[in-house]
Order: sequence, then C-alpha cells, then structure tokens
Amino acid sequence: MIAHLSTEQLSECILGQPSPLVSRHVQQCTVCREELANFQEALGSFRGAVRTWSQEEAHRALAVPAQGPQARSLMASRQLAWALLIAAVFVIASFVVPARNGKSEAQSDAVLLNQVDTQVSRTAPSSMEPLMKLVGQRP
Amino acid sequence: MLAMQLSAMPEMETPIRPGVAELSDDFEALVRLYRPKVFRFALASLRDPDAAETVTQDCFLRAHQARASFRRDCSLQTWLMRIALNLIRDHARSRRFQFWRRAYRVARPVEQAGHSIADRARSPEAQALLNERVASIWAAAERLPEKQRSVFLLRFVEDLDLLEIAAATGMKEGTVKTHLFRALRAVRERIGGTL
Repeated sequence: MIAHLSTEQLSECILGQPSPLVSRHVQQCTVCREELANFQEALGSFRGAVRTWSQEEAHRALAVPAQGPQARSLMASRQLAWALLIAAVFVIASFVVPARNGKSEAQSDAVLLNQVDTQVSRTAPSSMEPLMKLVGQRP
Repeated sequence: MLAMQLSAMPEMETPIRPGVAELSDDFEALVRLYRPKVFRFALASLRDPDAAETVTQDCFLRAHQARASFRRDCSLQTWLMRIALNLIRDHARSRRFQFWRRAYRVARPVEQAGHSIADRARSPEAQALLNERVASIWAAAERLPEKQRSVFLLRFVEDLDLLEIAAATGMKEGTVKTHLFRALRAVRERIGGTL
C-alpha cells in the first residue's frame, strides 16, 4: 500500500496509463481520488476555456469580413479623393509653372535683345572704344 | 461561413486517412473540417488571434502545396498539426521579443472564459476556485519550454494520444511522455495540489 500518489503517479492516471498498484490505490484512497478528480476537472475546464476562446475568435474573424465591403469602399473613396486632389494639384501646377517660366523667359529675352540693341547701336566695336575716346578727346 | 464550419465540425471526429487523389479532389472539405482545430492549436500556442490566423492560412497553403507528398503514414490531422507546429515554432522564434508581451496582453480571454464553463451544480466558491485553477494552468502553460508546451496543448486541448503527438512532433513516444510528465508537474505545482 502506497501512502499517497506522487505527481508522476497522478500524471500516469491522467494520461490513462496507471500501473495496477496506482489504480488500486486510487480506488481505495478517497484523498487521492479527489485530488485526481480536481486535477482532471481543472484540465478539462482549461480545454473548454481554450475552445471557447478559439470559437469566439473565429466568430470575431467572421464578423470582420462582414464589415469589409463598407470599410473597403470607404477606404477606396478616400483613396480616390486623395488621387483626385493630387491630380488637380498637378493640373493646376502644369498651368501655373509654365506661365511663370514663360514670364521669366520673356524677361530674359528682353534683356538679351536690349544687350544686342546696345551692341548694334555702337559706332565702333567695344574693343575700339578706348581708341575712339582718345580720338574724341582731341581738339 | 466559418461559423457553419465550426458548427458542422464534430469535436471528436475520427481522423481520416484519404489517398493523395482524394486529398487533391476535396481539399476544401479538408479545410472545412480541420481549420478550427489548426486555428485553435495556433491560438493556444501563440495567444495572438492575428498570428494564429496567419499560421492557419499558411498551414493549409503548405498542405495544399505538399499534398502530393502526403504518404498516409499518419492521419490528416496529425499531418496538419505537424505543419502547424513548424509554422508556430518559426513564428514564435521570429517574434521572440514580442511574443510574451503579446501573450500577456491576450492572456485574459482564457482566464475569463473559465466563467463560460460555469456549472449550476457547482457552488460559487467552487466555481471561483476552478476559474482560478484554469487561469493558473494557462499561466503555467505560458511558462513551459516550447516542446513541453506544444506537447501539453496537443494532449490536453487537442486530445491527441501519445502516438499522434509523437507523429506530429517527430519525437519518440517515450520523449513525448517525458515532456508530458514534466509539463503536468509544472502545471500541478502552479495550481497547487493538496497532496
């Protein structure tokens, strides 16, 4: 006769593989029988709790696709709005930026033309201007 | 759809051993039948619904890709659990530093789920004690080494026998038994046996 079951012997019972000695003891010892029953009940409850949680999560996962189309359409409309906004900015920019460039080009053209006019209107080339001044200073 | 799958799935179905041709023909049926189990095992192992969903999808994707190599040397459930186990291991390792933080964050549902298994015949005190014990088992399982935890969950959540666990984990039956004994010892220490 063994005193009380060790954890290993209880585990043997829980795994369904008790030795004849352990089986006999469980039948005879109320304390060990109760301990075994409590342990088994706790493990069974643990299994039940995990299964319940798993089912709840599976159902929750089901609920998400149900809201999916709405969420997706909202997301799509937001994306479309952003795309339209960006496109509008590009369109406006395509008009504004060339106009600014055109203005600056016209200004630079005007400066260039003025320079050309100045050069053309000179009576002598710029390299001869000092000589012309000397000639002009003579009485 | 998944709700129908869940309700249609018997909890203690007989593992089937189809041929490769049958597996290819009716893969959808296989997914319907085993998806809840794979998801549950992944969820209990990773304690993260999103990660469990990812692992479940990857598991069936890999099973579909490897269906031609299924040799009928074990049940489909065992084969799927083997794939899931590898994926869970990879997933847990790749997110080692996030794993326990997330686990802690989502540990509450199972502790609370203990209330959903209330028995009217049980006194409030006994129910409270049982809930406490469930929470302790959950906490103990969290702290088990990886192999012990897998073996423990396969045995006490998925109801696999020692040979099936050995086939799923690639361990010898004796090794599975040793891991189970150690896991049970840790769990019992945690819940506090009276003996």
